[in-house]
Amino acid sequence: MASQQQSPVLSIEGLIKDYPGVRAVDDVSFSIESSTVHCLIGENGAGKSTLIKMLTGALQPTQGVMKINGLTYTPTSTQDARDNGVATLFQELHVVDELSVLENLTLGMEQSRFGFLIKSGLEERVIHTLATIEPTIDPTARVSSLSVAQKQIIEIARAASSGANVIIMDEPTAALSEREVERLFTVIKRLRSQHVTVIYISHKLDEILALGDAVTVLRDGKHIVTKPLSEVSGRPELIDMMIGRTVFESYTPRNTMSGEVVLSAKGLSNALLNNVSFDIRKGEIVGFYGLVGAGKTEIARALFGADEVSGTIVFKGESVGNSPKEAIAAGIALVPEERRTQGLFTQLTIRENIPVMNLQSMSNNGLYRLAQEQSIAHKYVEQLSIATNSIEKHTEKLSGGNQQKVVVAKCLFSEPDLLLLDEPTRGVDVGAKTEIYDIIKNLADKGNSVAVFSSELEEILGICDRVFLLYSGSLVSEFINGPDIDINNILNLVTGGNQGVTQ
Amino acid sequence: MNVPVHIKSIPSNKKHLSDQMYITSLVALVAIGLFLIASLFVPNFFQFQNMLNLVTNNWAVISLGVGVSFLLVSGNFDLSVGGIVALSGVLSVWLAQSIGSPNALASGLGLPYWLALLGAFVGALAIGGLNALFVVKFRIPSIIVTLGTMMVARGIAQVITQGSQRNTNLPEEFGVLGNLKVFGTSMQFPVLFMALLLLLAILIERKMVFGRLTYWIGANPVASKLSGIDNAKHITCLYLFSAGIAGVVGILLSSEYQSGFSNRGLLMEFDALVIALLGGIAIAGGFGSVIGMFFGAIILAVVTSAATGLTLSPDWQYILKALAVFLAIVAQTWALARRNK
Repeated sequence: MASQQQSPVLSIEGLIKDYPGVRAVDDVSFSIESSTVHCLIGENGAGKSTLIKMLTGALQPTQGVMKINGLTYTPTSTQDARDNGVATLFQELHVVDELSVLENLTLGMEQSRFGFLIKSGLEERVIHTLATIEPTIDPTARVSSLSVAQKQIIEIARAASSGANVIIMDEPTAALSEREVERLFTVIKRLRSQHVTVIYISHKLDEILALGDAVTVLRDGKHIVTKPLSEVSGRPELIDMMIGRTVFESYTPRNTMSGEVVLSAKGLSNALLNNVSFDIRKGEIVGFYGLVGAGKTEIARALFGADEVSGTIVFKGESVGNSPKEAIAAGIALVPEERRTQGLFTQLTIRENIPVMNLQSMSNNGLYRLAQEQSIAHKYVEQLSIATNSIEKHTEKLSGGNQQKVVVAKCLFSEPDLLLLDEPTRGVDVGAKTEIYDIIKNLADKGNSVAVFSSELEEILGICDRVFLLYSGSLVSEFINGPDIDINNILNLVTGGNQGVTQ
Repeated sequence: MNVPVHIKSIPSNKKHLSDQMYITSLVALVAIGLFLIASLFVPNFFQFQNMLNLVTNNWAVISLGVGVSFLLVSGNFDLSVGGIVALSGVLSVWLAQSIGSPNALASGLGLPYWLALLGAFVGALAIGGLNALFVVKFRIPSIIVTLGTMMVARGIAQVITQGSQRNTNLPEEFGVLGNLKVFGTSMQFPVLFMALLLLLAILIERKMVFGRLTYWIGANPVASKLSGIDNAKHITCLYLFSAGIAGVVGILLSSEYQSGFSNRGLLMEFDALVIALLGGIAIAGGFGSVIGMFFGAIILAVVTSAATGLTLSPDWQYILKALAVFLAIVAQTWALARRNK
């Protein structure tokens, strides 16, 4: 290792990943130098996670080549990737709470003979690795007594001692306090000095500027640029590269908004929300925009009575109860974040899915109106153009977009005055996306209120009349949508940029 | 949303049975097929009286199967029903026995007969309430909870009968209910109870909102809650329903035998589970029907009684049951997978 400028540890050439109807990663080529912290950034849906899944063997590329130290690398599983020296630190931690630090570090690497464990130099080696990374952790301590940040370091140490020379970290600071973040950075820098390469994914641009050696920007599945961070002038340049355009054109102002406040929330707080207050007016579409984990889902679920929250929520002049049942009765409906696990009854048919949120209208003194169920199903299949050959089709066999339309149909049938939609078009194809936007606009045009919770800025700016920006559980700004909004400023605010600036 | 409804050319799908009907018909066909096969080999099997016996001899298990089926469809187990049968039977005897006999097992609480029955029924409901409390409120898996209450119920019965049985000092009318012949026919009242219960269950399952709620909760409890369904209340109702049925079964059995016996209903919870599974009810919930469960019971009854008719030793009963269960479940899984390919 004479020269600093050796051949890249990891290089990617013409990588493509196709999903039915979507190209998630489109001809991406770049390489990563050894012993660097290489950052990967891009908006939601830019293709970061698909790329990472290919690197860790969770997905196989449709086309293209990955090379490690010049050798072709085709991992088939995360274990296979690890054997090739690529370890991943996922957002969810994979440590065993009931075991000691040392036992966690050697887990899966034990030497055995005839099924019995035998002593090897393993323990000394991992203790040494841990000590060089983070000397303050006692190897005999129980993992359950450690903080989240320390557990993360245990995982890093495990990766390092298993001989990984590339460690992928996916949003490692999402659950850490500021001081813990600094400690993690120290650990990452030590790893780098020990010739470990770190691929660092984060939405928090300040972290990237503070820590990274080089950055790769992805946008809409395409590779935009890879360059040393020393050549990047600052946050604005990163944001420009990420969005690549300054205006979204599709929003047209609607004139159905009235001043009448339908819902007013004051001081909503819980473990993830911090004193959030806002109003929603009749006939308007409001948007809540923020990164993953900023508190969008929490607000939606709190308004719907699905989670406990302190503070007051007044809807049409009365306080809403604290269960979805009461919220629906009051006229609020929620299209939840995960349609398959939270919204749909996948093993039931379209017909059986739609009536569930409005059983009063389905009940005739306790008898179920079967004939009405049929006609309602036909009506919504027609009205929302759900693509199916029969209302008897099981919803698990529908495409993502049509599944989402069934969930929307369920909510519409409850005749809500306020419809909440959490990530309404995640995993939905472009055609269905537009149709769902039309449904939303129609609803608002009829004088109902709609709240869209989304981590896609394009979606928020495409349909919402008024937008709230969220960062780490707090509302940081509010603005009226229009032609001259400053996208760079929005991205700056939701990534934790200086919070004083509002328009 | 007052868009004019014009139902045009979406095919109404009449030629396709729903999966539900498909599996139920399959189970019914298997039951009938097995009966015909058995008739070929077993002398005197193909007789109307024998068909009738297959049903009437199993009235208790089929009745219990109704409650167990509803709970299974909702995604919950109920293993406590056998224990409740013992408990409510023993309670009805103990409460009705007159006071003052020197023999502890011959001396009860001397309550009026109707009050004794009510007490026994309330005791059964209490076990159901306990099930609901632990499953709904403390979120303990139902298989563990009801395994526990199964032993609690039978344990109480055991204590009251001191591990034996109570059958003396009972009022005159005690033996009437279980041996009553209905409408001057040979049909006994308990069989009528089962028939009415089946009809009620089918009505609830097919025609009532309550039945629908059960499927929604079983298919996806998270989605049902977010759709405004009160899962906790519904599951509580189902446990009370199931325990209530078991209570009545226990009362009727103790009346039939004029005794309260702590081992009565032993393993009935498993038979009820087996016939529900044979009848095509999904163990994961959200799928199945009471009619299927009924034919499941017929399958089991045909297999066991044919074996007896073939002079196979009764010792082979369990092996046969096991074979029937495995075959039925494999066949259903295969049939559904093939159909939904």
